[in-house]
Amino acid sequence: MPTLTETEKSMRNKMKIIGLTLLFGLNCSLTFGQVQMPTAPQATRFQQYGNNGLQNPNTVVSVPNPMDIFNGTSDQQRIQKQNQMLIQEVEQNEKLRTEQLNQVNKDIAEYNSNRINYSLPSYGNIESTKYYRNAFDKLNGLNPNDFSVEKATFLIENAYFEEKQNYEDFNKLIIQIGDFLREKMEALGYDQKSNLAKNFMLFKFFSDTLEIESKNLKHLPFKYDFEDYMGIEDWSKMFVSKLLTTAKGQCNSLPRLYLILAEEIGAEAFLSLAPNHSYIRFRDDYDNWYNVELTNGMFTTQTFILQSGYIKSEALQNEIFMQKMSSKQLLSQLLADFAMGYTRKFGYDSFVKEVIDKSLLLDPNSISANMLNSNYLTIKFEYVAKQANINPRNNQELQNIRYFPKMVELLNQVNSQYSQIDNLGYEFMPPKAYEEWLNSLKDEKQKQDSKDLENQFNIKVKQPIKN
Amino acid sequence: MKKTLFILYLFLSSFQIGFSQENLFEESFGTLNEMLVDSTKYSFKKAVFSVENAYNYGTLDTIHINHELTKLNTLIIGLLKSRKLEYHEKDSITVNKYASLFTVLNDTIPIKDKNNEDYIYIPYRYDFDDPFGHKDWNSMFVSKLLMTGKGNCHSLPYLYKILAEQIGVDAHLALAPNHVYIKHRNKKDGWYNTELTSGIFPIDAWIMASGYVHLDAIVNGMYMKALNDKETIGVCLIDLAQAYENRFPYHNGDFVLKCSELALQQYPNFSNALLMNIEAKRRQIETFLRKKNAEFPNDISKYPDTVQLFAEIENQIINTHKLGYRKMPEEMYLNWLVSLKEEREKYSNKKINTFNQTTN
Repeated sequence: MPTLTETEKSMRNKMKIIGLTLLFGLNCSLTFGQVQMPTAPQATRFQQYGNNGLQNPNTVVSVPNPMDIFNGTSDQQRIQKQNQMLIQEVEQNEKLRTEQLNQVNKDIAEYNSNRINYSLPSYGNIESTKYYRNAFDKLNGLNPNDFSVEKATFLIENAYFEEKQNYEDFNKLIIQIGDFLREKMEALGYDQKSNLAKNFMLFKFFSDTLEIESKNLKHLPFKYDFEDYMGIEDWSKMFVSKLLTTAKGQCNSLPRLYLILAEEIGAEAFLSLAPNHSYIRFRDDYDNWYNVELTNGMFTTQTFILQSGYIKSEALQNEIFMQKMSSKQLLSQLLADFAMGYTRKFGYDSFVKEVIDKSLLLDPNSISANMLNSNYLTIKFEYVAKQANINPRNNQELQNIRYFPKMVELLNQVNSQYSQIDNLGYEFMPPKAYEEWLNSLKDEKQKQDSKDLENQFNIKVKQPIKN
Repeated sequence: MKKTLFILYLFLSSFQIGFSQENLFEESFGTLNEMLVDSTKYSFKKAVFSVENAYNYGTLDTIHINHELTKLNTLIIGLLKSRKLEYHEKDSITVNKYASLFTVLNDTIPIKDKNNEDYIYIPYRYDFDDPFGHKDWNSMFVSKLLMTGKGNCHSLPYLYKILAEQIGVDAHLALAPNHVYIKHRNKKDGWYNTELTSGIFPIDAWIMASGYVHLDAIVNGMYMKALNDKETIGVCLIDLAQAYENRFPYHNGDFVLKCSELALQQYPNFSNALLMNIEAKRRQIETFLRKKNAEFPNDISKYPDTVQLFAEIENQIINTHKLGYRKMPEEMYLNWLVSLKEEREKYSNKKINTFNQTTN
């Protein structure tokens, strides 16, 4: 084995170093190359930036959407897109917020609905309501097709007066007047069987001074009471008992007394309604119909009533005005008055609803009962809404009832009752218009019409009925 | 010889015209009947123009009519876009349409065309020349109104209703003695009247106080009732019968009877149908007696057929009176119509005045 000389050894070492250096060097150059590689794309990107920047220096920060190149890169579109995105984001947030709010509201509603009282508080704990409940029991017991207006009226008024009046006294007074009328008819030579004569007598009793000299009896005409004629301050102003004690009444009590007296002397007469008003209708023995206006003691024509201007043809088609009321309808009307008295004395509660329902059962088209029902439902709805801190008169807040299904149901009831009243053709008549209309009775024409009829009657009542 | 041939030709051709026109009336009757059988076929416009076409020998200029209607439609839509009412109930879109329609039929409107030239649109007017169609039955027609710009209480509300249906809102015809007007209903005021002959909104008392409307006639819906589609077609059927009567003054009553019977099926208390029905039966008696060479009315009692018809007539007259029908003389009608303008204050519906307060 040849031995390596010193020079050979040192050459080999050098070779090794070179090899290593080469190896390292190559390696290094390779690694260096890898680092350099990304610069190429950087350069192109920079170019793009540069171009855009030069053209639109203000929009350098625009959305880095490479598709922009294809979609056109005009200013406005860019801004629009930007705005859209912002809007979307805001909307998204808003949606989220409302969803959360809805959830919260729902939770609150669920929590509250267990605490909300869905019926009006009862006034039953007030001692004097018992008179009303007693009276209602008795009114309920009446035969709707054949009952005494006198008794029903007494029951209604006495409930208001807490049963402090005496029926015997009331009845005695009515009989007394009846006797007076019968005697007067005889004295005047009227046919006692004629319905016209009886009604004409009644008319005179209300509007004329009547005397029976032999007995020294005298009756003065009733007067119209302008003061509080709607009974707003004092409900008892509407009553027959008030009319009998003061000889002053209004369009509620006067016709009511007429009916009571007609019942007493066996005359046929009917109550009839007009806007804010009631009057008497009767027929003669040949089936001609007449209207008696007791507030002014006159006979009126149909045209006069129609001219009030607040009677729609739908109201006539639904027979809510100007029709003679049947016995059933009259009881329905009396019940509505009865309920009104209760609301004036106490307020609205479930008892009122009970009476209204009975009244509507007797006459579904009764305008008084329908109006009362709409009041009742409205008050109930408002009472319930307020418990949930919703102001029912504020449309915005009203939207919140959607979280309370029961409340929505109540509001639907209110609305359908309102549209029922619209369907009936009812139109609100302002008190001022009503007063003007009533006063127009004093026009020459109306006076003349009334006088003409009265003269006719004066002749007719003395003729015996031909059969 | 030639002369006689020519006369013969004329005679035959006149016969032809008479015959084909009878057909046109039958066709119109068929159209109306179809609308009653199948409510999807209902179109007031079609009903009205089929009657007018039958009367005018099938020569109705439908191109002109449609052109005019489109023009009005455009005006209404334009007006609808340019203004807004002070009305804030849920049904405000519909009420706005009613208001635009009313304005277009009643007010003078300045307009600009495509070339920006100014025009003045002049609304339709009431025709006092021949309001009852005595001189020419065409006076009653919508086609005449569109042609001349003048109409009466028949054609004006009809046009209103046709336009209303075109813009997709309802408008109900309502009847008064010798008169037709429009009834609308909105959330705020309930039912209210639109009177096109004088362009105001009268309250019901205006009609009630005319003195010729018996209360019973209102109660049973003879007058002042918002008519539904079927009742409206009933009214068109009587229009057809009246047009027929005017075209064939010596008719035998059969066609008129057919129309009135069908009209009464839809609208039993329709006053004009009741009257036409009576008139048709009278004609039938006359025709029957003429065939027998007998005299009208002296020989009515001689034949069981005529006796029965006469008994029917008598009953119907009594019944019509009971329903509340009273004849209103023509002069009275005009006085009454004018009273609306003279006593505007008394009879106009003040609630509907919101229509005039618009916001721009």
